[in-house]
Amino acid sequence: MKLHYIAMRLVKTVLVAIAVVLLSFFLIRLAPGDAATVMAGQAGYADEAYMKSLRAEYGLDQPLPVQLWKYMDAVAHGDLGISYVRRQPVLGIIMERLPNTLLLDAFALLMAAAGGIWLGSIAARRPGSLLDSANTVLSMLFYSVPQFWLGMMMMLLFAVWLGWLPPFGIETMGADYTGLARIADVSVHILLPGTTLALYFMASYARLTRTAMIEVADQDFVKTARAKGISERQVARRHILRNALIPLITFAGLQASILVGGNVLVENVFSWPGVGTLAYEAVTSRDNPLLLGIFIVTAILVSLFNLVTDIAYSIADPRVELGR
Amino acid sequence: MNFARRFFSRPTALIGFAVFVAIVVIALAAPLLFARGPFAIVGMPLLPPGAPGLPAGSDVLGRNMMIGLAFGARVSLLVGISATLVATVVGILFGALAGYYGGLVDDLLMRVTEFFQIIPAFVLLMVLVAFLQPSLESAVIGIAMITWPQVARVVRGEFLSLRSREFVEAARTLGMRDTAIIFTQILPNALPPIVVISSMMVGNAILAESALSFLGLGDPNLLSWGSMIGGARSAMWVAWWTTTLPGVSIMITVLALNFVGDGLNDALNPRRRH
Amino acid sequence: MPLVSIQNLTVALPVDADRPLAVEDVSLEVGRNEIVCIVGESGSGKSLTAHAIMGLLPGRVAATAGQILFDGVDLLKLSPSAMRKRRGRDIAMIFQDPMAALNPVVAIGKQVTEQIRAHRVISEAAALKQAADLLGQMGLKNFDELLKAYPHQLSGGQRQRVMIAMALSLSPQLLIADEPTTALDVTTQAQILKLIKKIQAEREMSVLFITHDFGVVADMADKVAVMRHGRVLESGAVGEVLGNPSHSYTRALIAAVPRGESQLPPPPEARPLVEVVGLTKRFRRGGLFSRGQVNTAVDNVSLTLSRGETLGIVGESGSGKSTLARCVIRLLDPDAGTVLLDGADIAHMTPGELRPLRRRIQMVFQDPFSSLNPRQTVGDIITAGPRIYGEEPKAARARAADILRLVGLNPETMNRLPHEFSGGQRQRIGLARALMLKPDVLIADEPVSALDVTVQAQVLQLLDDVRRQMNLAMLFITHDMRVAAQVCHRVMVMRHGKVVESGPTRDIFAAPSSEYTKALLVAIPGRNEMRQNI
Repeated sequence: MKLHYIAMRLVKTVLVAIAVVLLSFFLIRLAPGDAATVMAGQAGYADEAYMKSLRAEYGLDQPLPVQLWKYMDAVAHGDLGISYVRRQPVLGIIMERLPNTLLLDAFALLMAAAGGIWLGSIAARRPGSLLDSANTVLSMLFYSVPQFWLGMMMMLLFAVWLGWLPPFGIETMGADYTGLARIADVSVHILLPGTTLALYFMASYARLTRTAMIEVADQDFVKTARAKGISERQVARRHILRNALIPLITFAGLQASILVGGNVLVENVFSWPGVGTLAYEAVTSRDNPLLLGIFIVTAILVSLFNLVTDIAYSIADPRVELGR
Repeated sequence: MNFARRFFSRPTALIGFAVFVAIVVIALAAPLLFARGPFAIVGMPLLPPGAPGLPAGSDVLGRNMMIGLAFGARVSLLVGISATLVATVVGILFGALAGYYGGLVDDLLMRVTEFFQIIPAFVLLMVLVAFLQPSLESAVIGIAMITWPQVARVVRGEFLSLRSREFVEAARTLGMRDTAIIFTQILPNALPPIVVISSMMVGNAILAESALSFLGLGDPNLLSWGSMIGGARSAMWVAWWTTTLPGVSIMITVLALNFVGDGLNDALNPRRRH
Repeated sequence: MPLVSIQNLTVALPVDADRPLAVEDVSLEVGRNEIVCIVGESGSGKSLTAHAIMGLLPGRVAATAGQILFDGVDLLKLSPSAMRKRRGRDIAMIFQDPMAALNPVVAIGKQVTEQIRAHRVISEAAALKQAADLLGQMGLKNFDELLKAYPHQLSGGQRQRVMIAMALSLSPQLLIADEPTTALDVTTQAQILKLIKKIQAEREMSVLFITHDFGVVADMADKVAVMRHGRVLESGAVGEVLGNPSHSYTRALIAAVPRGESQLPPPPEARPLVEVVGLTKRFRRGGLFSRGQVNTAVDNVSLTLSRGETLGIVGESGSGKSTLARCVIRLLDPDAGTVLLDGADIAHMTPGELRPLRRRIQMVFQDPFSSLNPRQTVGDIITAGPRIYGEEPKAARARAADILRLVGLNPETMNRLPHEFSGGQRQRIGLARALMLKPDVLIADEPVSALDVTVQAQVLQLLDDVRRQMNLAMLFITHDMRVAAQVCHRVMVMRHGKVVESGPTRDIFAAPSSEYTKALLVAIPGRNEMRQNI
């Protein structure tokens, strides 16, 4: 039965991927001028014959359904086209950058979840206390700040004024560390961008944990737990927190998807060599195949995250039987 | 009225509302106060705040930051409010139909909604704006496109639970038409959460706009807070005010809106307060 | 010395509550090896009294005066940790809704062993064995599977048995049962009551039983205390209080309990106004991406209904009685069968064809809190119907005043919002809304199940009066045999979507032909005792 559920969710994931590819195909049509004009523009001249040969080369002279079919077929085989600017396969360029992005995202996610749940559960224990209020104000503050600007301010503070942390990149240029030294170097570099990303979500985790715990604490089974005569700590941990954490799984999935697409700005601020900076480069250089490739890859990644989230949820909450 | 009293009894809501009104006034008055516009070069570049005639200093090109900040408020509010309006209308439409009719209609509409929630929002926004050409309109369309699912979900949830309430069933047995039930029975009861989420969404839309402008995807003919920060990146090491002040402006605006949203939430759902 | 002796207990509510004290100067004793019932309506303070013994008063509620002596020790003076050690070991408690009272994400076995291991040093495996043993004593089978199951996988009766097993796991001296059967079906209720009584006798322990139902009191109690507005009005041996109540409120409460005996004469023979033939309704679960399960909620049901008569549809939860009512009034579209109103089949009409006929069938709903739009005034609510059919607002309001008077409300209430009214008043408003359309048929879907027993009696009386005055055909949906006996000329018993039997109420109560109906009748709490005592 569980297998059936997972199979159905996989089918759903594939359908989403197809829809994403369809959407991106039509997004290409949205852009003024076709690939030929862009490339001709980059080549610096645009006589009719050259444009025509370009169109033939890229299949742009064929009817729309044929183009769509070829596009889908190519994507299905992992061919996301050739970057206009780098003249390399798009998929290869993205895959080279993807691990860096996933590293940064994982760091931010873990930091946010651990910190947020901890803060939230403290706040929930004494609603209205100083710590609770401070928590509320801080989360409100982090909600209201543009992330890229927060990153710049962190950089200004910790890298420029205090000089504690390196401001840019994933590792020290030219140092060529290996082994443990390299891990240490990357760890230092990840702190600023990672924390910038984490702070916003940490605020959300804290708020969600707090609300959920207060809500759960009102429920009858918590009264039952107290009636059993178990200690308050066990009531809090086994009964309140255990139930309050379930909705956070959904949020973690959501966060993963926001991170994959959303750290464009933070990566860019800190020159982190991930998919985000790549997307920015693609936008500024009008490298449409690359941009769409990133769109497709991130979308598929996100729907995979969603699949994982759903499965995790169904494990954590026995009431969810094989999807709603 | 009871509601207004409840709302203004919260200091944060009062402050948020006052600040928001002040920002609206500044935005409306900017062209009257500063007839030369934000792009005019008034003096030496990178003069610190407090220099003669430059309470907020000058930027990399020697433009008056003060004027830039005032005009930036126009862009932020315009984009934030219009994008939210579009998203709210679309969201209510989708959510109401899906929640009220349920079944196949719900399935279809929610699949579409889910799809827009699943695809990475900011990448989609960048792609959309880049392909539509950066402009005020494309920012509004793009931001509305990535935010409407939130409204749709909330509205659907409300409609779904209200639809099976007995007073709605009673309206049906009286012979009321679906449109009348949706607009006179259900929507007024679903309004509080919609108002709350919309007020928060304006803030998020302002953040999204600033991010777009920061990346150079804003309207090239308008100066916005995001583009001020983006343009001053190279100078942030030597002239802190060039990046700090527009950022603080964004923060104050969004914070004010979130305070308002929070106050609305408490005033509209007095029982949910803890 | 009695096991529990409550002396002059006062429990204060937070300053912003609607009254300062929830419990006022209450004294009460629970002896060894006896069952004491506290009976009262909502807001009487009966439940908070029980929670005070347990040391589990909600956050801002506190006992401000008095003593609770348990075996000579004042529980109110104990430190939190000393009280915690007694909870579950010396005093155990079970609650109203076992679904809510069990942790939804923890397996049953773990929840039982947690209780045992909170007070005893014992391995998980040994505790599990003990848990299995206890479940067996509660009459549960397959306990290996049960121990691994989660609460949502059990039936309501099974869940309450698990709760009781848990409560008894450390052989407490006192069991507090706070309305433990209110959320259960009547046959399940009867089983659980029997179980509690049996266990009490076997273990010779004390039980403090909180209930709103005098029938349950008659079945369970050795002694009874009647509470209202936070005070004990009278107390004593059960036979004495039931047979010879000294307080007028107690007399009113007892009188208001429906008797479970039909007083209404058989219905007059008349041409049926409504004829339902072969009605079937199925529900499919699941969406585009999951396999659908089909559940036949109403299975080939036929009935007739004439002017001036009340037909009761009786059944437990899941019997399809509400679905049937919603199909008849076309809130749901039936899958098969016909619903003839004066010969016209309304089951298959388009919404447009149906609209003009809607006014002829109206409904009174179950939940007084969700059946009125919270954002509309009473006047707007009850004139909405006439306005749909083009009546002038002024004329409608004039008529509304008359109808409000008819249902026993002051017409000046028209400008108020629903939340300003009590549950019983809201039901009257709901009835007024239906009557404004001068219907021929009135469907009442559990109209009194959410009301206190004294209010229940008034609303039932009102429904019957209105039925007579307006010569209505009434379809009365209820889970409560006692209520059905009071207002219905004929009853139809349903189970799993099918009709079990139907006939004149008198005949069915005197000589039920099916086993199921017999079981339902036997399960009526206090059936024999109440009759003897009065």
